[in-house]
Amino acid sequence: MKRNGIWVLAVVVVLVSGFSFTVAAEEGVTDTEIHIGQWGPQTGPAAPWGSVARGTAAFFKMINDAGGIHGRKIVYHMFDDGYNPAKTMAGVKELQEGVGIFAWASGVGTAPGMAVRDYLMERKVPWVGAASGSHHWITPPEKYQFATYPLYYNEAMALCRYAIKTLGSKKIAMAYQNDGYGKNGVEGAENELKKHGLELVAKVPVESKDTDLKSHVMKMKKAGADTVLLWVNPTHGITIMGTAKAMQFEPQWMSVSTLSDFPLMYKISKGLWEGVITGSFADLPDSETPLMKKYKQAYEKYAAKEERWGIFYYAGFGFIEPMVEALNLSGRDLTRERFVKEMEGIKNFKGIMGTLNFKPFDPNDPSSRLGTNEVFLIKCLADGKYEKLTDWMTVD
Amino acid sequence: MDMKRHYYEDVQLFSSGVIVFWFAVLMVFLATFPFFFKNYFVYVANYIAINIIVVIGLNILVGYTGLISLGHAGFFAIGAYGTIIFMTKWSLPFLLALPLAALVAALFGFLLGLPALRLEGPYLTIATLGFGLTITQVIGKLELFGGRQGLHAPELLIGPWHLDTDRSFYYLVMIITVILTIFARNLTKTRVGRAFIAIRDADLAAETMGVNLVLYKTLAFAISAFYAGVAGGLYAFVLRFIEPEIFSLMMSIMFLAMVVVGGLGSIMGSIVGAGLLSWLDLQLRNILSLPYVGKWLETLSASYFSITGVSNIQFILFGLIMVLIMLFEPLGIFGIWIRTKKYWKTWPF
Amino acid sequence: MIDFLQMIVNGIAVGSSYALMGLAMVIIYKTSEVPNFAQGEMALVTTYFTFMLLHTFGLTMANAFISALVFSFFLGCLLEFTVLRRAKEPNILGMIVITIGLEMVLLGFVSWKFGADPKVMPFPISPYDSVSIGDVFISSLELLTLVVALFLMIVLFLFFKFSKLGMAMKATQQNNTAARLMGISTNRMNMMTWGISSLVGCTAGLLIAPVTMQPYMMWDPLLKGFAAAVMGGMTSLPGAVFGAYILGITENLFGGYVSIEFKSVVAFMIIIFVLCIKPSGLFARHYVKKV
Repeated sequence: MKRNGIWVLAVVVVLVSGFSFTVAAEEGVTDTEIHIGQWGPQTGPAAPWGSVARGTAAFFKMINDAGGIHGRKIVYHMFDDGYNPAKTMAGVKELQEGVGIFAWASGVGTAPGMAVRDYLMERKVPWVGAASGSHHWITPPEKYQFATYPLYYNEAMALCRYAIKTLGSKKIAMAYQNDGYGKNGVEGAENELKKHGLELVAKVPVESKDTDLKSHVMKMKKAGADTVLLWVNPTHGITIMGTAKAMQFEPQWMSVSTLSDFPLMYKISKGLWEGVITGSFADLPDSETPLMKKYKQAYEKYAAKEERWGIFYYAGFGFIEPMVEALNLSGRDLTRERFVKEMEGIKNFKGIMGTLNFKPFDPNDPSSRLGTNEVFLIKCLADGKYEKLTDWMTVD
Repeated sequence: MDMKRHYYEDVQLFSSGVIVFWFAVLMVFLATFPFFFKNYFVYVANYIAINIIVVIGLNILVGYTGLISLGHAGFFAIGAYGTIIFMTKWSLPFLLALPLAALVAALFGFLLGLPALRLEGPYLTIATLGFGLTITQVIGKLELFGGRQGLHAPELLIGPWHLDTDRSFYYLVMIITVILTIFARNLTKTRVGRAFIAIRDADLAAETMGVNLVLYKTLAFAISAFYAGVAGGLYAFVLRFIEPEIFSLMMSIMFLAMVVVGGLGSIMGSIVGAGLLSWLDLQLRNILSLPYVGKWLETLSASYFSITGVSNIQFILFGLIMVLIMLFEPLGIFGIWIRTKKYWKTWPF
Repeated sequence: MIDFLQMIVNGIAVGSSYALMGLAMVIIYKTSEVPNFAQGEMALVTTYFTFMLLHTFGLTMANAFISALVFSFFLGCLLEFTVLRRAKEPNILGMIVITIGLEMVLLGFVSWKFGADPKVMPFPISPYDSVSIGDVFISSLELLTLVVALFLMIVLFLFFKFSKLGMAMKATQQNNTAARLMGISTNRMNMMTWGISSLVGCTAGLLIAPVTMQPYMMWDPLLKGFAAAVMGGMTSLPGAVFGAYILGITENLFGGYVSIEFKSVVAFMIIIFVLCIKPSGLFARHYVKKV
């Protein structure tokens, strides 16, 4: 009897210890897992941007297959918010309080992001690489939010400077989406033009719901613009160009990095996109750098068959590169404070996007939380091919 | 038991002791709810409660008075923006800013009611739709309202309490919801409510009987706008950040759908309709994580459909639920409830 | 002066696509008094179906378009048969919500099957060529839309006024029971109405697709078409078309001379204004209600 009792006790002890209690040292981190979340518009009018979240999924799968981060696998929680801030809040709260998320990756949309920003910052949850170049992320800067998307403001400046200096444009007009995205661009453009003693000959606001843009084009044509900046969404960009062509108004078109997916733009504009100059915040799709090749292999391995290898997809890789770097540097002893410290220490980090630099947190210095302001300019050639016009540059 | 012998029996809030009991149970449940459930559920409850307020108001207009409105997102927006502006620019306390913003919304409701006097059916629908869109557009343009950059909700202080968590806000929302529901319920039992019902059933006959159409139709609009305004003000604090794009046509359509699916002309119906549809709205995105259904859907998507668009299943389900409920019971969920009650009334004979 | 004419022409051009959607809505309203919110998505399904025929099955353009028209007719009939008819004792709001639900289901299906990326629709006429009358330009696609819209308007108007089937449909709307007593199969009338309306919607979709093709492309034309139909009178076919043109022209004139930002706002203001003066729309006969 007693011998049996000892055996039973031994078995129980073995079983209990075999359960390997995962003691969470930090929320979202266990001995074997790191929980990272992302929201994205998989449905709704903004659904084309849903590929960012799917790109991150492939990125994490690639990392997990290579062994994870210091023995921990990344558990990726992606949910659809349909670009509706109420749903973003719901998803973030559910995941944060249910599963416990260590940090949030990227996330498309200024409004959805702004809705959850306060909540995350109050809880001291790190958030890296919001997928929008809005200045909301850094004014005011928050200790736990790291922005890696170059500001629309500076990109507009870069484009205008190129137009004036290299193309010799004299009359620049601008069509902008009537929200933070477009307005930031207008501010940047006007700032740059003022330096050269010029003004926008026409600036036309476009509502995101508009489909008929003839009045807008007419206004720009009447102003006699020789260069037009398109700071709208891809569909509108093409509509404006098409309408302009039908009205036989053909200025030099320039646009912003959100319209830099040339193969797509060329295809849906039926070739009109040729000759357009845009900014770009990441390496080109056909680039042969080792990182791009590695990511492309991950895409071929993990992406669904109808997924396209486009800039938004691999932006899902690029925005998160610094996060993975900081996770790696934090080592086995992973806490949020350690993670933030490692993020702050990132200097001259070059992934597939601009060179990243962070600094220790200073509430009065937005650049302590803005990793890069680098863009480069590209031009669309026939068949959606790319021509690099400038190198990476920071525009002040 | 169902026969009413006195006028006061018809009007009284609780028609029997049983109802008082269940009401008390409900109140206790609502009061202790946040302590048993996680914060996320409290957030969902807040969202549902806000929708309940709007839908009850909309039901007064659509269900009781028979006037369709697709512009309630506009009143919702006025409530949200108004509350924040009054609190930040004029430094009014929340308990003053909220009713004031709702009154502004009611004023706009009244203004909308004026052209509505002559319109009906799809004409009224378009007029209200246009009105709702106009309000959103105008708010979006004015820098006073932060334009397209949106507005941050300020800190919420009521007396000595600092409401900054979902849980504390929940109590505020629940109290307001209960008060407004009881008010609506009482309203429908008074002569104002009866005037509304008369207008819905036969407005010309009502006018000949002495019901002042101008007064009551605009009043109906104003009251439903007031409700939407209150809900909007609360929504601004649940979300903590608002911008014009949120108050879209889709939101107005959702409100109308909630009213109709819940049951026109019934307060209980609105509560259930709003609860069901808002809960679905928030939760359907998790369809893919259901144990068996999720896997099956994913394999189905991979073979016949696109895996990238797989989240669109939520729309399909949502639409299907709406269509099925309306097909089987034009009176909505409340109609189903009534039918079940009637069926079981004479059981087991 | 040239600008003014150009704006008018722009307004007519854009009004044509609104007119087609407006026509489709009026047809259904004329027979069953239900504003059909699923109109846009029915056209969307047909358009994507055509896309599938052209890309996956490699049909020629002519074959694909004709199949699309046939498909749209059957889609309309099918939807009416399976969904609308099953509604028991329907009231207007219930039917509206059913159409809204249908709209979501159809939109969900299209997004699910085809993904959210914009697609390219091959079309014989490029949307970027233009025809010029003096200094005023109109794109060839829009010219085609204009012609189609006017053509359909005339055909449908004559159909409803003079043909037996058309008259039977009008009778169904005016008094359902009396129509049945006179031997008209109201069920079949409703089915055919939906079929015809879906056909008109399909042409609208196919004409919009070359410019932009993504799942949300029909929302704006539907809204504007609905608004235009209301302004013109929900029971009047020429009313819908002229309402659409008035809407388009007003929008463009306002956008050109006053403010681009408030373009759509002013459109709705005009409609509300018109409705205040003529509550049943511009061209419809105002039925006086009996107590």
